[in-house]
Amino acid sequence: MKAIVVGLIKIYQQWISPMSAPKCKYYPSCSSYAVTAINTYGLKGLFMSVWRLMRCNPWSHGGVDYVPLNSTNTNEALSL
Amino acid sequence: MNTILNPLYIAVSWVIVTIHDLLSPIFSANSGVSWSLSIMGLVILIRVLLIPLFVKQIKSQRALTALQPHMKEIQKKHKDDRQKQSEEMMKLYKEHKTNPLASCFPILAQAPIFFALFTVLNGIGKHPPVAHGVLTQHDVDSAAQATIFGAPISSTFLGTTNSTVKIVTIVLIAFMSLTTFTTQRQLMLKGMPKMDSSNNMMLQQQKIMLYAFPVIFAISGVNFPIGVLIYWSTTNLWTWGQQFYVIKRNPTPGSPAFLELQAKRARKAGTPDSESSEAGSTEPSSVEIKGQRSQPKKKKKK
Repeated sequence: MKAIVVGLIKIYQQWISPMSAPKCKYYPSCSSYAVTAINTYGLKGLFMSVWRLMRCNPWSHGGVDYVPLNSTNTNEALSL
Repeated sequence: MNTILNPLYIAVSWVIVTIHDLLSPIFSANSGVSWSLSIMGLVILIRVLLIPLFVKQIKSQRALTALQPHMKEIQKKHKDDRQKQSEEMMKLYKEHKTNPLASCFPILAQAPIFFALFTVLNGIGKHPPVAHGVLTQHDVDSAAQATIFGAPISSTFLGTTNSTVKIVTIVLIAFMSLTTFTTQRQLMLKGMPKMDSSNNMMLQQQKIMLYAFPVIFAISGVNFPIGVLIYWSTTNLWTWGQQFYVIKRNPTPGSPAFLELQAKRARKAGTPDSESSEAGSTEPSSVEIKGQRSQPKKKKKK
């Protein structure tokens, strides 16, 4: 399940996203945030990604916003 | 799911019916013109509602011109580290409370509406027609038989042997492909800051998508009722027009269109060309207007 969701996001990143000008207000972009979050936290990560996508709106100022890390998962998250 | 989507069906169908009622005295209630223009009206309404967001984005892009020295500094400092570069750039935007990026909101906001419209129009295409939202059975019966260029707006390419429907579908698919292609190409050539070699792969993908799009449209388009294709074509046309306007008048700083505009403004202001070509960072407003001559005043004779 995790692999399917992450796979879909990767397809989006690879094929759909390049078609328009970069538009995410955050770094890392919402899609790579989602990949990290889902890989690290699973279902909770999915909710975190949705929340991130909602925070990325015309009224926000964006900025740098990494997936919060807990010590056990540091390695996996950093490899992305 | 239906409880979430029902308000959207009502909203979408209400807009269509209202525009249709307004147009009926002019084009007659059962004509395809009234129904097609109602669908187009829905697109225009949505896009007009999104204009304030768009203006907001353009304004923050303009504010970016002032940040250009900072941005150049960041690019220089982290020349070999793209991650650090983007990170610093985002920090800079946040610090100055001006983010030129659009976010996904404009697209995400339109997606459910498109989905609702698709359901409403698909209902009209059923045999017998199914009414969604505030549409009455009388409305859907009228819309189902309405034709545009001789093709019922409820019919699909695959669901008919009528050659007029096939021709109209092909024309609309061609139009959709053309508008998407031109919009994409314009953005790639002029709208985006020049890419360095590290982005080559992205550029390659963009090129593939540019040519893959007509194929995707052709495959999906033959399954959609002509009414949906009308919606889609109108959206594409609007997107193209909007982008054309922005690239001409408010291009993204650093893009080829931006340099073109600056050169043009500099020429208008009468500054020599050699100056404008090297200055990517000059404020257009700071260019002094020359050639303005004050009228000699009449002297009073004694």
